[in-house]
Amino acid sequence: MAKTRHQQPLKRPNLKTRFRAYVRDHLRVLLFSLGKLYRTPFASIMTLLMIAVALALPTCLYVLLNNLQNVTNQWDDAGQITLFLDSGTSEKQIKSVKQQIANNENVEQVVYVPADIALNDFKQRSGFGDLLEGLPDNPLPPTIVVTPVNSAKKGNTLYELRNSLQKLAHVDQVQLDMQWLQRLQAISKIIQRTIFAIGVMLALSVLLVVGNSIRLDIENRRDEIEVTKLIGATDRFIRRPFLYGGLWFGLLGGVLALLLVFIVLLGIRQPTQELVSLYNSNFKLMLPSFKQSLSLILASILLGLLGSWLAVNRRISKIQPS
Amino acid sequence: MIELQNVTKRYPGNREALSHLNLTIEQGEMAFLTGPSGAGKSTLLKLIAAIEKPTRGQIFINRKNITRIPNRKIPALRRHMGVVFQDHHLLHDRNVFDNVSLPLQIAGFAQVDINRRVRAALDKVDLLDKESMMPITLSGGEQQRVGIARAVVHKPAILLADEPTGNLDPELSAEIMQLFSDFNQVGVTVLIASHDLDLIMRLQKRIIRLRDGQCIDSQSIQSAQEYEVIN
Ligand SMILES: Nc1ncnc2c1ncn2[C@@H]1O[C@H](COP(=O)(O)OP(=O)(O)OP(=O)(O)O)[C@@H](O)[C@H]1O
Ligand SMILES: [Mg+2]
Repeated sequence: MAKTRHQQPLKRPNLKTRFRAYVRDHLRVLLFSLGKLYRTPFASIMTLLMIAVALALPTCLYVLLNNLQNVTNQWDDAGQITLFLDSGTSEKQIKSVKQQIANNENVEQVVYVPADIALNDFKQRSGFGDLLEGLPDNPLPPTIVVTPVNSAKKGNTLYELRNSLQKLAHVDQVQLDMQWLQRLQAISKIIQRTIFAIGVMLALSVLLVVGNSIRLDIENRRDEIEVTKLIGATDRFIRRPFLYGGLWFGLLGGVLALLLVFIVLLGIRQPTQELVSLYNSNFKLMLPSFKQSLSLILASILLGLLGSWLAVNRRISKIQPS
Repeated sequence: MIELQNVTKRYPGNREALSHLNLTIEQGEMAFLTGPSGAGKSTLLKLIAAIEKPTRGQIFINRKNITRIPNRKIPALRRHMGVVFQDHHLLHDRNVFDNVSLPLQIAGFAQVDINRRVRAALDKVDLLDKESMMPITLSGGEQQRVGIARAVVHKPAILLADEPTGNLDPELSAEIMQLFSDFNQVGVTVLIASHDLDLIMRLQKRIIRLRDGQCIDSQSIQSAQEYEVIN
Protein backbone atom coordinates (compact mmCIF):
# COMPACT_ATOMS: atom_id res chain seq x y z
CA MET A 1 0.00 0.00 0.00
CA ALA A 2 1.31 3.42 -0.90
CA LYS A 3 2.33 5.51 2.01
CA THR A 4 0.24 8.68 2.23
CA ARG A 5 2.21 11.91 2.23
CA HIS A 6 0.52 14.06 4.84
CA GLN A 7 0.35 17.77 4.21
CA GLN A 8 1.94 20.02 6.76
CA PRO A 9 -0.81 21.92 8.51
CA LEU A 10 -0.54 25.64 7.82
CA LYS A 11 0.94 27.24 10.90
CA ARG A 12 -0.93 30.15 12.38
CA PRO A 13 1.06 33.28 11.48
CA ASN A 14 3.03 34.80 14.35
CA LEU A 15 1.94 37.96 16.12
CA LYS A 16 4.15 40.28 14.06
CA THR A 17 2.88 38.86 10.79
CA ARG A 18 -0.69 39.02 12.00
CA PHE A 19 -0.23 42.64 13.05
CA ARG A 20 1.22 43.58 9.69
CA ALA A 21 -1.60 41.74 7.98
CA TYR A 22 -4.01 43.65 10.21
CA VAL A 23 -2.61 47.02 9.13
CA ARG A 24 -2.53 45.88 5.51
CA ASP A 25 -6.13 44.76 5.76
CA HIS A 26 -7.17 48.13 7.16
CA LEU A 27 -5.52 49.92 4.25
CA ARG A 28 -7.01 47.54 1.74
CA VAL A 29 -10.49 47.91 3.21
CA LEU A 30 -10.05 51.70 3.25
CA LEU A 31 -9.47 51.68 -0.51
CA PHE A 32 -12.03 48.94 -1.11
CA SER A 33 -14.80 50.91 0.58
CA LEU A 34 -13.87 54.00 -1.42
CA GLY A 35 -14.09 51.90 -4.57
CA LYS A 36 -17.53 50.75 -3.44
CA LEU A 37 -18.75 54.36 -3.35
CA TYR A 38 -17.26 54.88 -6.79
CA ARG A 39 -19.05 51.85 -8.18
CA THR A 40 -22.49 53.15 -7.12
CA PRO A 41 -21.95 56.78 -8.14
CA PHE A 42 -25.56 57.90 -8.14
CA ALA A 43 -26.46 56.62 -4.69
CA SER A 44 -23.14 57.85 -3.31
CA ILE A 45 -23.54 61.35 -4.69
CA MET A 46 -27.09 61.57 -3.32
CA THR A 47 -25.93 60.55 0.13
CA LEU A 48 -22.92 62.88 0.03
CA LEU A 49 -25.07 65.81 -1.07
CA MET A 50 -27.55 65.19 1.72
CA ILE A 51 -24.71 65.14 4.24
CA ALA A 52 -23.11 68.23 2.71
CA VAL A 53 -26.28 70.30 2.71
CA ALA A 54 -27.16 69.26 6.25
CA LEU A 55 -23.73 70.36 7.46
CA ALA A 56 -23.31 73.44 5.27
CA LEU A 57 -26.52 75.11 6.46
CA PRO A 58 -25.67 75.43 10.16
CA THR A 59 -22.04 76.19 9.31
CA CYS A 60 -23.04 79.12 7.08
CA LEU A 61 -25.34 80.45 9.78
CA TYR A 62 -22.61 80.06 12.35
CA VAL A 63 -20.05 81.92 10.28
CA LEU A 64 -22.52 84.73 9.57
CA LEU A 65 -23.30 85.02 13.27
CA ASN A 66 -19.58 85.16 14.00
CA ASN A 67 -19.30 88.03 11.56
CA LEU A 68 -22.19 89.82 13.20
CA GLN A 69 -20.54 89.46 16.59
CA ASN A 70 -17.31 90.83 15.17
CA VAL A 71 -19.15 93.95 14.03
CA THR A 72 -20.83 94.49 17.39
CA ASN A 73 -17.51 93.97 19.13
CA GLN A 74 -16.11 96.84 17.09
CA TRP A 75 -18.92 99.01 18.33
CA ASP A 76 -18.53 97.82 21.84
CA ASP A 77 -15.93 100.45 22.75
CA ALA A 78 -18.10 103.26 21.41
CA GLY A 79 -20.40 103.36 24.45
CA GLN A 80 -21.35 106.92 23.65
CA ILE A 81 -24.28 108.89 25.03
CA THR A 82 -26.17 111.18 22.71
CA LEU A 83 -28.16 114.09 24.16
CA PHE A 84 -30.87 115.66 22.04
CA LEU A 85 -31.58 119.18 23.29
CA ASP A 86 -34.81 121.13 23.08
CA SER A 87 -35.08 122.74 19.65
CA GLY A 88 -35.10 126.31 20.82
CA THR A 89 -32.10 126.13 23.11
CA SER A 90 -29.79 129.15 22.76
CA GLU A 91 -26.04 129.01 22.21
CA LYS A 92 -25.46 130.35 25.70
CA GLN A 93 -27.63 127.73 27.32
CA ILE A 94 -25.88 125.05 25.34
CA LYS A 95 -22.51 126.29 26.51
CA SER A 96 -23.62 126.07 30.11
CA VAL A 97 -24.94 122.54 29.60
CA LYS A 98 -21.64 121.53 28.01
CA GLN A 99 -19.75 122.98 30.95
CA GLN A 100 -21.92 121.11 33.45
CA ILE A 101 -21.33 117.86 31.64
CA ALA A 102 -17.60 118.36 31.30
CA ASN A 103 -17.39 118.79 35.07
CA ASN A 104 -18.60 115.26 35.62
CA GLU A 105 -15.64 113.08 36.54
CA ASN A 106 -17.00 110.21 34.47
CA VAL A 107 -16.96 112.19 31.24
CA GLU A 108 -14.01 112.13 28.92
CA GLN A 109 -15.16 114.29 26.05
CA VAL A 110 -18.09 116.50 25.15
CA VAL A 111 -18.80 117.36 21.52
CA TYR A 112 -21.50 119.77 20.47
CA VAL A 113 -23.08 119.10 17.09
CA PRO A 114 -25.18 122.09 15.94
CA ALA A 115 -28.47 121.21 14.27
CA ASP A 116 -27.39 122.42 10.78
CA ILE A 117 -24.19 120.40 10.89
CA ALA A 118 -26.13 117.33 12.02
CA LEU A 119 -28.47 117.88 9.09
CA ASN A 120 -25.63 118.19 6.56
CA ASP A 121 -24.04 115.10 7.95
CA PHE A 122 -27.27 113.22 7.68
CA LYS A 123 -27.88 114.42 4.11
CA GLN A 124 -24.51 113.10 3.04
CA ARG A 125 -24.71 109.80 4.78
CA SER A 126 -28.29 108.85 4.17
CA GLY A 127 -28.60 109.61 0.49
CA PHE A 128 -31.91 111.41 1.16
CA GLY A 129 -30.24 114.75 0.39
CA ASP A 130 -32.67 115.90 -2.29
CA LEU A 131 -35.67 114.99 -0.24
CA LEU A 132 -34.45 116.91 2.79
CA GLU A 133 -33.62 119.94 0.61
CA GLY A 134 -37.32 120.60 0.30
CA LEU A 135 -37.93 120.93 4.02
CA PRO A 136 -38.59 124.46 5.28
CA ASP A 137 -37.16 123.83 8.78
CA ASN A 138 -34.37 121.73 10.08
CA PRO A 139 -36.10 118.76 11.74
CA LEU A 140 -33.01 117.78 13.71
CA PRO A 141 -32.40 119.09 17.26
CA PRO A 142 -29.03 120.36 18.44
CA THR A 143 -27.05 117.43 19.77
CA ILE A 144 -24.32 116.82 22.31
CA VAL A 145 -22.30 113.64 22.11
CA VAL A 146 -20.75 112.54 25.39
CA THR A 147 -17.94 110.03 25.56
CA PRO A 148 -17.59 108.59 29.07
CA VAL A 149 -14.20 107.69 30.51
CA ASN A 150 -13.35 104.06 29.94
CA SER A 151 -14.04 102.99 33.49
CA ALA A 152 -17.59 104.40 33.25
CA LYS A 153 -18.50 102.62 30.04
CA LYS A 154 -19.81 99.49 31.66
CA GLY A 155 -22.87 98.57 33.64
CA ASN A 156 -24.33 100.71 36.41
CA THR A 157 -21.95 103.66 36.20
CA LEU A 158 -23.06 104.21 32.64
CA TYR A 159 -26.73 104.07 33.59
CA GLU A 160 -26.14 106.49 36.51
CA LEU A 161 -24.35 108.84 34.15
CA ARG A 162 -27.21 108.63 31.71
CA ASN A 163 -29.74 109.36 34.47
CA SER A 164 -27.80 112.37 35.71
CA LEU A 165 -27.54 113.73 32.16
CA GLN A 166 -31.25 113.20 31.67
CA LYS A 167 -31.95 115.51 34.62
CA LEU A 168 -30.04 118.46 33.13
CA ALA A 169 -32.06 121.46 31.91
CA HIS A 170 -32.79 121.72 28.15
CA VAL A 171 -32.10 118.06 27.60
CA ASP A 172 -34.96 116.50 25.72
CA GLN A 173 -33.84 112.95 25.18
CA VAL A 174 -30.85 110.82 26.10
CA GLN A 175 -29.84 107.91 23.98
CA LEU A 176 -27.42 105.33 25.28
CA ASP A 177 -25.75 103.47 22.42
CA MET A 178 -25.27 100.60 24.81
CA GLN A 179 -28.96 99.86 24.92
CA TRP A 180 -29.43 98.65 21.42
CA LEU A 181 -26.01 97.05 21.55
CA GLN A 182 -27.15 94.99 24.49
CA ARG A 183 -30.34 94.13 22.73
CA LEU A 184 -28.33 93.10 19.72
CA GLN A 185 -26.20 90.89 21.94
CA ALA A 186 -29.26 89.33 23.49
CA ILE A 187 -30.68 88.70 20.04
CA SER A 188 -27.42 87.22 18.87
CA LYS A 189 -27.51 84.90 21.85
CA ILE A 190 -30.96 83.72 20.79
CA ILE A 191 -29.73 83.28 17.23
CA GLN A 192 -26.73 81.39 18.54
CA ARG A 193 -28.94 78.98 20.47
CA THR A 194 -31.21 78.56 17.46
CA ILE A 195 -28.27 77.78 15.20
CA PHE A 196 -27.03 75.31 17.77
CA ALA A 197 -30.41 73.58 17.88
CA ILE A 198 -30.61 73.51 14.07
CA GLY A 199 -27.07 72.16 14.01
CA VAL A 200 -27.94 69.37 16.43
CA MET A 201 -31.02 68.40 14.43
CA LEU A 202 -29.12 68.40 11.15
CA ALA A 203 -26.25 66.43 12.70
CA LEU A 204 -28.85 63.91 13.74
CA SER A 205 -30.12 63.77 10.18
CA VAL A 206 -26.55 63.13 8.97
CA LEU A 207 -26.41 60.19 11.39
CA LEU A 208 -29.65 58.89 9.92
CA VAL A 209 -28.57 59.40 6.31
CA VAL A 210 -25.26 57.61 6.82
CA GLY A 211 -26.87 54.94 9.00
CA ASN A 212 -29.56 54.27 6.45
CA SER A 213 -27.14 54.06 3.56
CA ILE A 214 -24.89 51.62 5.48
CA ARG A 215 -27.91 49.61 6.60
CA LEU A 216 -29.01 49.20 2.98
CA ASP A 217 -25.49 48.16 2.03
CA ILE A 218 -25.54 45.52 4.77
CA GLU A 219 -28.91 44.20 3.59
CA ASN A 220 -27.61 44.00 0.01
CA ARG A 221 -24.58 42.09 1.18
CA ARG A 222 -26.36 39.70 3.50
CA ASP A 223 -25.33 36.66 1.42
CA GLU A 224 -21.79 37.85 1.25
CA ILE A 225 -21.70 38.35 5.02
CA GLU A 226 -23.04 34.85 5.60
CA VAL A 227 -20.41 33.33 3.33
CA THR A 228 -17.62 35.29 4.95
CA LYS A 229 -18.79 34.12 8.34
CA LEU A 230 -18.81 30.56 7.09
CA ILE A 231 -15.18 30.95 6.12
CA GLY A 232 -14.37 31.95 9.68
CA ALA A 233 -14.45 35.75 9.59
CA THR A 234 -15.01 37.50 12.89
CA ASP A 235 -17.71 40.13 13.26
CA ARG A 236 -14.99 42.72 13.52
CA PHE A 237 -13.50 41.71 10.18
CA ILE A 238 -16.91 41.96 8.52
CA ARG A 239 -17.75 45.23 10.22
CA ARG A 240 -14.61 46.96 8.98
CA PRO A 241 -15.59 47.82 5.38
CA PHE A 242 -18.92 49.22 6.57
CA LEU A 243 -17.28 51.42 9.19
CA TYR A 244 -14.81 52.65 6.59
CA GLY A 245 -17.76 53.31 4.31
CA GLY A 246 -19.13 55.63 7.01
CA LEU A 247 -15.73 57.26 7.34
CA TRP A 248 -15.63 58.04 3.62
CA PHE A 249 -19.18 59.39 3.70
CA GLY A 250 -18.14 61.65 6.57
CA LEU A 251 -14.89 62.80 5.01
CA LEU A 252 -16.22 63.43 1.50
CA GLY A 253 -19.50 64.86 2.81
CA GLY A 254 -17.54 67.22 5.07
CA VAL A 255 -15.29 68.43 2.24
CA LEU A 256 -18.34 68.96 0.04
CA ALA A 257 -20.06 70.85 2.88
CA LEU A 258 -17.03 73.12 3.25
CA LEU A 259 -17.09 73.76 -0.48
CA LEU A 260 -20.75 74.74 -0.27
CA VAL A 261 -20.05 77.06 2.66
CA PHE A 262 -17.29 78.84 0.73
CA ILE A 263 -19.45 79.15 -2.36
CA VAL A 264 -22.33 80.66 -0.38
CA LEU A 265 -20.14 83.04 1.63
CA LEU A 266 -18.12 84.19 -1.36
CA GLY A 267 -21.43 84.71 -3.12
CA ILE A 268 -22.68 87.15 -0.47
CA ARG A 269 -19.33 88.75 0.21
CA GLN A 270 -19.58 91.26 -2.61
CA PRO A 271 -23.08 92.49 -1.69
CA THR A 272 -22.12 92.88 1.99
CA GLN A 273 -19.05 94.81 0.93
CA GLU A 274 -21.29 97.21 -0.98
CA LEU A 275 -23.64 97.47 1.98
CA VAL A 276 -20.97 98.26 4.58
CA SER A 277 -19.18 100.70 2.30
CA LEU A 278 -22.30 102.85 2.62
CA TYR A 279 -21.61 103.01 6.35
CA ASN A 280 -17.93 103.90 6.01
CA SER A 281 -17.07 100.77 7.90
CA ASN A 282 -13.91 98.79 7.33
CA PHE A 283 -15.80 95.59 8.04
CA LYS A 284 -14.92 92.62 5.85
CA LEU A 285 -16.95 89.40 5.73
CA MET A 286 -14.82 86.71 7.31
CA LEU A 287 -14.69 83.25 5.72
CA PRO A 288 -14.27 80.19 7.95
CA SER A 289 -10.76 79.97 9.38
CA PHE A 290 -8.51 76.99 8.76
CA LYS A 291 -9.30 75.71 12.23
CA GLN A 292 -13.04 76.05 11.69
CA SER A 293 -12.80 74.27 8.33
CA LEU A 294 -10.84 71.44 9.90
CA SER A 295 -13.36 71.18 12.75
CA LEU A 296 -16.19 70.91 10.24
CA ILE A 297 -14.49 68.05 8.42
CA LEU A 298 -13.53 66.28 11.64
CA ALA A 299 -17.07 66.61 12.96
CA SER A 300 -18.35 65.23 9.69
CA ILE A 301 -16.00 62.25 9.88
CA LEU A 302 -17.11 61.56 13.44
CA LEU A 303 -20.77 61.73 12.40
CA GLY A 304 -20.08 59.35 9.50
CA LEU A 305 -18.31 56.87 11.75
CA LEU A 306 -20.95 57.11 14.44
CA GLY A 307 -23.77 56.73 11.91
CA SER A 308 -22.23 53.62 10.38
CA TRP A 309 -21.40 52.23 13.79
CA LEU A 310 -25.02 52.61 14.85
CA ALA A 311 -26.12 50.82 11.68
CA VAL A 312 -23.52 48.07 11.95
CA ASN A 313 -23.73 47.50 15.68
CA ARG A 314 -25.55 44.24 16.42
CA ARG A 315 -26.89 43.98 12.86
CA ILE A 316 -23.76 42.11 11.74
CA SER A 317 -23.81 39.70 14.66
CA LYS A 318 -27.46 38.95 13.97
CA ILE A 319 -26.68 37.76 10.44
CA GLN A 320 -25.74 34.09 10.67
CA PRO A 321 -25.29 31.58 7.87
CA SER A 322 -28.12 29.09 7.47
CA MET B 1 -11.90 13.82 14.81
CA ILE B 2 -15.67 14.26 14.32
CA GLU B 3 -17.88 12.61 16.87
CA LEU B 4 -21.65 12.86 17.32
CA GLN B 5 -23.16 11.33 20.43
CA ASN B 6 -26.89 10.70 20.47
CA VAL B 7 -27.55 13.89 18.50
CA THR B 8 -31.09 15.07 17.88
CA LYS B 9 -31.94 18.14 15.83
CA ARG B 10 -35.44 19.52 15.65
CA TYR B 11 -36.13 22.71 13.70
CA PRO B 12 -38.84 24.89 15.18
CA GLY B 13 -42.25 23.54 14.16
CA ASN B 14 -40.85 20.49 12.35
CA ARG B 15 -40.37 16.86 13.12
CA GLU B 16 -36.87 15.73 14.04
CA ALA B 17 -34.41 16.26 11.19
CA LEU B 18 -31.91 14.07 13.00
CA SER B 19 -32.81 11.73 15.82
CA HIS B 20 -30.50 10.02 18.29
CA LEU B 21 -27.67 9.91 15.80
CA ASN B 22 -24.31 8.39 16.75
CA LEU B 23 -21.44 8.79 14.35
CA THR B 24 -17.66 8.90 14.45
CA ILE B 25 -15.40 9.95 11.62
CA GLU B 26 -11.73 9.30 12.22
CA GLN B 27 -8.93 11.70 11.49
CA GLY B 28 -7.85 11.38 7.86
CA GLU B 29 -10.96 9.46 6.90
CA MET B 30 -13.07 10.19 3.84
CA ALA B 31 -16.79 9.48 3.99
CA PHE B 32 -19.90 10.13 1.91
CA LEU B 33 -23.28 11.02 3.33
CA THR B 34 -26.17 9.80 1.27
CA GLY B 35 -29.86 9.18 1.58
CA PRO B 36 -33.15 10.47 0.22
CA SER B 37 -34.12 14.09 0.18
CA GLY B 38 -35.01 15.31 3.65
CA ALA B 39 -32.96 12.58 5.33
CA GLY B 40 -30.91 15.15 7.22
CA LYS B 41 -27.63 15.23 5.27
CA SER B 42 -27.37 19.00 5.11
CA THR B 43 -28.47 19.25 8.72
CA LEU B 44 -25.64 16.97 9.80
CA LEU B 45 -23.05 19.07 7.97
CA LYS B 46 -24.51 22.25 9.44
CA LEU B 47 -24.20 20.86 12.95
CA ILE B 48 -20.54 20.05 12.36
CA ALA B 49 -19.84 23.54 11.00
CA ALA B 50 -21.74 25.07 13.95
CA ILE B 51 -24.23 26.67 11.59
CA GLU B 52 -26.97 24.97 13.58
CA LYS B 53 -26.90 23.77 17.16
CA PRO B 54 -28.20 20.35 18.22
CA THR B 55 -31.42 20.09 20.20
CA ARG B 56 -29.98 17.21 22.24
CA GLY B 57 -26.74 15.25 22.35
CA GLN B 58 -23.08 16.19 22.09
CA ILE B 59 -20.76 17.03 19.21
CA PHE B 60 -16.98 16.84 19.43
CA ILE B 61 -14.47 18.11 16.89
CA ASN B 62 -10.89 17.15 17.65
CA ARG B 63 -12.07 16.12 21.11
CA LYS B 64 -13.36 19.63 21.71
CA ASN B 65 -17.00 19.81 22.68
CA ILE B 66 -18.67 22.27 20.32
CA THR B 67 -22.24 21.47 21.35
CA ARG B 68 -22.87 24.82 23.01
CA ILE B 69 -20.06 26.79 21.42
CA PRO B 70 -20.49 30.55 22.00
CA ASN B 71 -20.73 32.74 18.89
CA ARG B 72 -17.41 34.43 19.52
CA LYS B 73 -15.57 31.10 19.32
CA ILE B 74 -17.18 29.99 16.07
CA PRO B 75 -14.77 31.84 13.71
CA ALA B 76 -11.77 29.99 15.17
CA LEU B 77 -13.57 26.65 14.75
CA ARG B 78 -14.44 27.37 11.15
CA ARG B 79 -10.88 28.30 10.28
CA HIS B 80 -10.00 24.66 10.87
CA MET B 81 -12.56 23.63 8.28
CA GLY B 82 -13.19 24.12 4.63
CA VAL B 83 -16.78 24.19 3.46
CA VAL B 84 -17.98 23.67 -0.13
CA PHE B 85 -21.56 24.35 -1.14
CA GLN B 86 -23.70 23.31 -4.04
CA ASP B 87 -24.11 26.91 -5.11
CA HIS B 88 -20.52 27.98 -4.79
CA HIS B 89 -21.20 31.17 -2.81
CA LEU B 90 -18.47 33.26 -4.41
CA LEU B 91 -18.24 37.00 -3.81
CA HIS B 92 -19.06 38.69 -7.08
CA ASP B 93 -17.42 42.04 -6.42
CA ARG B 94 -13.89 40.62 -6.52
CA ASN B 95 -11.83 38.41 -8.77
CA VAL B 96 -10.94 34.74 -8.41
CA PHE B 97 -7.68 35.39 -6.62
CA ASP B 98 -9.33 37.62 -4.01
CA ASN B 99 -12.11 35.09 -3.48
CA VAL B 100 -9.68 32.28 -2.87
CA SER B 101 -7.41 34.36 -0.64
CA LEU B 102 -10.24 35.37 1.70
CA PRO B 103 -9.64 32.64 4.33
CA LEU B 104 -5.96 33.59 4.48
CA GLN B 105 -6.73 37.29 4.76
CA ILE B 106 -9.11 36.54 7.61
CA ALA B 107 -6.45 34.51 9.41
CA GLY B 108 -3.89 37.30 8.93
CA PHE B 109 -1.26 35.71 6.70
CA ALA B 110 1.63 37.62 5.16
CA GLN B 111 1.10 38.68 1.56
CA VAL B 112 3.90 36.46 0.23
CA ASP B 113 2.34 33.41 1.89
CA ILE B 114 -1.08 34.39 0.57
CA ASN B 115 0.24 34.66 -2.98
CA ARG B 116 2.01 31.33 -2.71
CA ARG B 117 -0.88 29.45 -1.13
CA VAL B 118 -3.55 30.89 -3.44
CA ARG B 119 -1.53 29.96 -6.53
CA ALA B 120 -0.97 26.46 -5.14
CA ALA B 121 -4.71 26.03 -4.49
CA LEU B 122 -5.65 27.39 -7.92
CA ASP B 123 -3.08 25.13 -9.51
CA LYS B 124 -4.66 22.17 -7.73
CA VAL B 125 -8.07 22.92 -9.26
CA ASP B 126 -6.46 23.79 -12.58
CA LEU B 127 -7.49 27.43 -12.65
CA LEU B 128 -4.13 29.14 -12.38
CA ASP B 129 -4.72 31.09 -15.59
CA LYS B 130 -8.07 32.45 -14.38
CA GLU B 131 -6.90 34.13 -11.19
CA SER B 132 -7.74 37.67 -12.26
CA MET B 133 -11.12 36.90 -13.77
CA MET B 134 -14.40 37.80 -12.13
CA PRO B 135 -16.45 34.80 -10.92
CA ILE B 136 -19.42 35.79 -13.04
CA THR B 137 -17.42 35.21 -16.22
CA LEU B 138 -16.59 31.59 -15.32
CA SER B 139 -18.53 28.45 -16.17
CA GLY B 140 -20.47 26.57 -13.46
CA GLY B 141 -17.78 23.95 -13.10
CA GLU B 142 -15.05 26.56 -12.91
CA GLN B 143 -16.95 28.47 -10.25
CA GLN B 144 -17.36 25.26 -8.26
CA ARG B 145 -13.62 24.67 -8.49
CA VAL B 146 -12.93 28.22 -7.28
CA GLY B 147 -15.16 27.40 -4.30
CA ILE B 148 -13.13 24.26 -3.63
CA ALA B 149 -9.86 26.17 -3.92
CA ARG B 150 -11.18 28.63 -1.36
CA ALA B 151 -12.17 25.77 0.94
CA VAL B 152 -8.70 24.20 0.91
CA VAL B 153 -6.40 27.22 0.54
CA HIS B 154 -5.74 27.41 4.28
CA LYS B 155 -5.06 23.65 4.53
CA PRO B 156 -7.99 22.83 6.79
CA ALA B 157 -7.98 19.63 8.79
CA ILE B 158 -11.61 18.99 7.88
CA LEU B 159 -13.30 19.45 4.53
CA LEU B 160 -17.12 19.47 4.40
CA ALA B 161 -19.04 19.52 1.13
CA ASP B 162 -22.79 19.61 0.55
CA GLU B 163 -23.71 18.32 -2.92
CA PRO B 164 -20.53 19.69 -4.47
CA THR B 165 -21.36 18.12 -7.83
CA GLY B 166 -25.08 18.86 -7.67
CA ASN B 167 -25.41 20.53 -11.05
CA LEU B 168 -22.33 19.42 -12.94
CA ASP B 169 -22.04 16.92 -15.76
CA PRO B 170 -20.81 13.39 -14.91
CA GLU B 171 -17.29 13.89 -16.21
CA LEU B 172 -16.77 17.09 -14.25
CA SER B 173 -18.35 15.50 -11.17
CA ALA B 174 -15.87 12.66 -11.32
CA GLU B 175 -13.02 15.15 -11.60
CA ILE B 176 -14.20 17.05 -8.59
CA MET B 177 -14.65 13.93 -6.48
CA GLN B 178 -11.14 12.94 -7.48
CA LEU B 179 -9.96 16.31 -6.20
CA PHE B 180 -11.54 15.63 -2.81
CA SER B 181 -9.96 12.21 -2.83
CA ASP B 182 -6.58 13.84 -3.48
CA PHE B 183 -7.02 16.12 -0.50
CA ASN B 184 -7.89 13.10 1.60
CA GLN B 185 -4.67 11.50 0.36
CA VAL B 186 -2.65 14.20 2.08
CA GLY B 187 -4.45 13.68 5.38
CA VAL B 188 -7.52 15.90 5.26
CA THR B 189 -10.66 14.49 6.85
CA VAL B 190 -13.36 14.72 4.19
CA LEU B 191 -17.14 14.44 4.56
CA ILE B 192 -19.31 14.87 1.47
CA ALA B 193 -23.08 14.79 1.15
CA SER B 194 -24.08 13.48 -2.26
CA HIS B 195 -26.92 11.84 -4.14
CA ASP B 196 -24.69 10.51 -6.84
CA LEU B 197 -24.44 6.84 -5.80
CA ASP B 198 -22.70 5.63 -8.94
CA LEU B 199 -19.99 8.17 -8.55
CA ILE B 200 -19.34 7.72 -4.84
CA MET B 201 -19.31 3.96 -5.06
CA ARG B 202 -16.51 4.10 -7.57
CA LEU B 203 -14.33 5.91 -5.06
CA GLN B 204 -14.59 3.01 -2.61
CA LYS B 205 -14.84 5.03 0.55
CA ARG B 206 -17.07 4.77 3.56
CA ILE B 207 -20.73 5.52 2.81
CA ILE B 208 -23.06 6.73 5.54
CA ARG B 209 -26.71 6.29 4.65
CA LEU B 210 -29.30 8.43 6.39
CA ARG B 211 -33.05 8.08 6.34
CA ASP B 212 -35.51 10.14 8.35
CA GLY B 213 -32.73 11.50 10.48
CA GLN B 214 -31.31 8.13 11.38
CA CYS B 215 -28.22 6.32 10.28
CA ILE B 216 -29.42 3.14 8.64
CA ASP B 217 -26.09 1.95 7.38
CA SER B 218 -22.48 2.96 7.60
CA GLN B 219 -19.60 0.97 6.21
CA SER B 220 -16.74 0.89 3.85
CA ILE B 221 -17.76 -0.52 0.53
CA GLN B 222 -15.17 -2.07 -1.70
CA SER B 223 -17.22 -2.73 -4.82
CA ALA B 224 -20.53 -2.20 -6.50
CA GLN B 225 -21.46 -5.83 -6.07
CA GLU B 226 -20.90 -5.59 -2.38
CA TYR B 227 -23.17 -2.55 -2.26
CA GLU B 228 -25.91 -4.42 -4.02
CA VAL B 229 -25.53 -7.34 -1.62
CA ILE B 230 -26.01 -4.99 1.31
CA ASN B 231 -29.18 -3.64 -0.18
N1 LIG C 1 -33.98 25.72 8.35
C1 LIG C 1 -34.91 24.75 8.49
N2 LIG C 1 -36.06 25.01 9.13
C2 LIG C 1 -36.99 24.06 9.30
N3 LIG C 1 -36.86 22.82 8.85
C3 LIG C 1 -35.75 22.48 8.20
C4 LIG C 1 -34.71 23.44 7.98
N4 LIG C 1 -33.71 22.83 7.30
C5 LIG C 1 -34.11 21.56 7.11
N5 LIG C 1 -35.32 21.34 7.64
C6 LIG C 1 -36.04 20.06 7.65
O1 LIG C 1 -35.17 19.09 8.18
C7 LIG C 1 -35.26 17.90 7.43
C8 LIG C 1 -33.89 17.51 6.93
O2 LIG C 1 -33.46 18.48 6.01
P1 LIG C 1 -32.04 18.45 5.31
O3 LIG C 1 -31.87 19.72 4.54
O4 LIG C 1 -31.01 18.14 6.32
O5 LIG C 1 -32.21 17.24 4.31
P2 LIG C 1 -31.21 16.72 3.19
O6 LIG C 1 -30.91 15.31 3.51
O7 LIG C 1 -30.07 17.66 3.05
O8 LIG C 1 -32.13 16.79 1.92
P3 LIG C 1 -31.71 17.14 0.40
O9 LIG C 1 -31.12 15.92 -0.17
O10 LIG C 1 -33.01 17.48 -0.26
O11 LIG C 1 -30.77 18.30 0.45
C9 LIG C 1 -36.26 18.15 6.32
O12 LIG C 1 -37.49 17.58 6.73
C10 LIG C 1 -36.37 19.64 6.26
O13 LIG C 1 -37.68 20.01 5.93
MG1 LIG D 1 -29.37 19.01 1.56
